[in-house]
Amino acid sequence: MLRHVIIWSLFVLTLLVLPQIFSSILAISILNQMAIAVVFALSYNMLLGQGGMLSFGHAVYFGFGGFLAVHAMIRIEMGITVFSVTLIPLVGGLFGLLAAIFIGSFSTRKAGTVFAMISLGIGELIAASSLIFVSFFGGEAGISGYRDGGPAFFGIDFGQDIQVYYLAAFWVFLATLFMYLFTRTPAGRMANAVRDNPERAEFIGYSARAVRFITFCAAGFFAGIAGGLFAVNYEILTSENLNLIASGNVLLMAYIGGLGFFIGPMVGAVVLTMVNSMLSSYTDLWMLYLGIMFVLTVMFLPLGLTGLLMMHNLAWRLGTLRSLFVPYVVTGIPSAFFVLAVIAMLEMGHTTNSEFVYLGITLNPEGAGSWIGLFLIAGISWLAIRRSLPRLNEAWSEANTVKSAKPGGGE
Amino acid sequence: MMAILSLQGVSKQFGETQIIRDVSLDVEQGEKHAIIGPNGAGKSTLFHLISGRHPLTSGSIYFRDAAIHNRPPFEIARLGLARSFQVTNIFPRMSVFENIRCALLWSSGYRYSFWHMLGRQRGLNSRAEEVLEQIGLRDRHNFPAGELAYAEQRALELGITIASGADVILLDEPVAGMSLSEAKNAVQLIRRVTEGKTLLMVEHDMNIVFDLADRISVLVYGEIIASDTPEKIRGNRSVQEAYLGEVVTDA
Repeated sequence: MLRHVIIWSLFVLTLLVLPQIFSSILAISILNQMAIAVVFALSYNMLLGQGGMLSFGHAVYFGFGGFLAVHAMIRIEMGITVFSVTLIPLVGGLFGLLAAIFIGSFSTRKAGTVFAMISLGIGELIAASSLIFVSFFGGEAGISGYRDGGPAFFGIDFGQDIQVYYLAAFWVFLATLFMYLFTRTPAGRMANAVRDNPERAEFIGYSARAVRFITFCAAGFFAGIAGGLFAVNYEILTSENLNLIASGNVLLMAYIGGLGFFIGPMVGAVVLTMVNSMLSSYTDLWMLYLGIMFVLTVMFLPLGLTGLLMMHNLAWRLGTLRSLFVPYVVTGIPSAFFVLAVIAMLEMGHTTNSEFVYLGITLNPEGAGSWIGLFLIAGISWLAIRRSLPRLNEAWSEANTVKSAKPGGGE
Repeated sequence: MMAILSLQGVSKQFGETQIIRDVSLDVEQGEKHAIIGPNGAGKSTLFHLISGRHPLTSGSIYFRDAAIHNRPPFEIARLGLARSFQVTNIFPRMSVFENIRCALLWSSGYRYSFWHMLGRQRGLNSRAEEVLEQIGLRDRHNFPAGELAYAEQRALELGITIASGADVILLDEPVAGMSLSEAKNAVQLIRRVTEGKTLLMVEHDMNIVFDLADRISVLVYGEIIASDTPEKIRGNRSVQEAYLGEVVTDA
C-alpha cells in the first residue's frame, strides 16, 4: 500500500515539475503531445497487452472522441451548451465509449485474426467516411474550434499552452489511475485470463466475448479521453487523427514501450513523441529510423524498452549490476560506431548535395572515398561487436546467477 | 434417488461420422462414476457434449431439472458443473494464485465487476489460498502457471476445476501422462477434493478406475454397452470381449 502511495505521489510530482524544468514554448507543446500519447497508448495496451486483442484501428475511438470534443467546443463558443472546457476530455471519453459499444458489439465476437481484420476494416471505413461526411468531419480541412470560448475555470481561460498542460496533466493522472485500477478488478483480471486462454475462461463461468467487450469499451473510453485532450490542445481535428497511420502509431508506442508492463506504453509514448518531434527536425529519414527501431524491438526486445530495463532487475537485486558495466561499454562503443556509420550512409544515399556535413565531418556523397571509409568503419565495428558479444553473454549469465548463500557451503 | 445429471438419447455426428450413438446415462447425486472404453470410443466427445463445448446432433441432457444441451459452456459452468481437460488447459501467463482466484470469481458473485478491488476481497483471497493449500501448490503462489512442472500443472488444472465449488465435477483423464507415484498422489488429491460431490471421470488406468469409482460405464464405438458396479463390470462377458480383454487387437 505504502509503495503504491509513493509511486503515485512521484508520478504527480513528475507531472507538476516537468514544465518547470522544460519551460520553453516548444518543450511545453511537446509535453502536451506526450500527455495525449500516454493516455492513448495506455488505452491501446488495455486491448493488446491486457486483453490480447490486436487492433489496427484504435485511432477510430481517439478520433471519434476528438471530433465530438471539437463539436462540443464549438457549441460552448456559440453559447448553445455552456460548460467548462475542463470537462471536454470527458466528452471525448463518453463518445469514444459510445463508438466502442457500437463497434465492439460485433467486433469482439472473436479474438485473433478475425478481430484484427475487423479493426482494420473499421479503421479504413471510418477514415474514408471522414472525408465523405463533410458536415461532421469537415473533409480534408477537418474541423476546428476554440478552447477559450467557455466560462473561465477559477480565472483560467486555457488560452495558453501551459494552462492546457496542467489540464492535460490532471486528466493523464486520472486516466492512468483508473486504467491501473481496472487491471485489479475482476473484469480486468478476466481480461488477462481470456487473453491467455479464452476457452478455459468459458468453463469457469465467463463469456469470453463479454469479457472482451468490456475491455474494448474501457479502451475506447480512455482513447476518447486522449482524443478530447487532443481537441483541447490543438483545437482542430482532421481525418489524419483517425486514419490507419494514427492507429499504427499507437501500436508502435505500446509495442516499443513494452506490452507486458503497465508502465510500458507510457515509456513508449514518451520516447516516440520525443523521437517524432526531435528527429523530424533533424532528418527527413526519421520515419525510416522509426521503422528500423520497431523491427529491432520486435526481433530482439519482445518485452520492449521497459522489458530491457526490467531484465536487469535480478542483477540489481543480486548486487552484480556493476560487473556488467565494462562488457556493456566494450560492446557499446563499436555498436555506436556501427550505428553512426550506417546512419551516415543512409543520409548520404538520401541527400542530393555534393557535400554533406555529418558530426562535423564533411563527406562527399559523390566520391568513392567517403563510401569506402564508412563501409570500413561499419564492417570493422560489426566484427568488433561480434567478438565482444560472447563476453557480454558470459558476464550476463554470471551476473544473473543466484549463488548459494550457505556459509561454508563451497562447491 | 434422483439423477443429478441425465443424458437421454444423446447422439453426435461430425460430418458423416457418428461419434456418439444414442447414449442414455443417469448419474446419481454423490456418485463417483467412471467412463471407460478403448481409444476413439468417444469418451472425450461425450464430455464435450455435456460441458457445452460441442452442440448435440440429437438427444437431450439435463442437469438437475435444467436442460443444458446446446447451451454455451459458461452458462453450464454457472449452474455448477465444472470440468477439467485431458490436455492441460490453464492460464499460462498468470500466476498460480491468479489462476485459482479467477476460477473463483463467478461463483463468488463478482461477475464482470470493474468496481471491486481484488486485493481487498478478503473472503475471496483466503478461499483461493485454501484451494492452493488443498492442491499442494502453496509454495508456487506467485509462479507463472505456464512454468510449472507437468504434475503441478495437472494439480492446478484440478484446482481450477474444483475451485468454484461446483456440485458435479467432470475429470477427463486426470492422471494421464503421470508417473506411478504422481498418479497415486493425484488419486488421493481427487478423492479429497471431490468428497461429497458428484464425480464423472474418463480414465484409461484401470487400477485408478476400480479404485475410485462406484459405478462404471463402458463406451465402445459411441455406445454404452454396460453400466454397473466395478465388480459386475469386471465380470461382464461383453465388456471383457469389447474392451478389457481384447483392447490390444481393437486398437
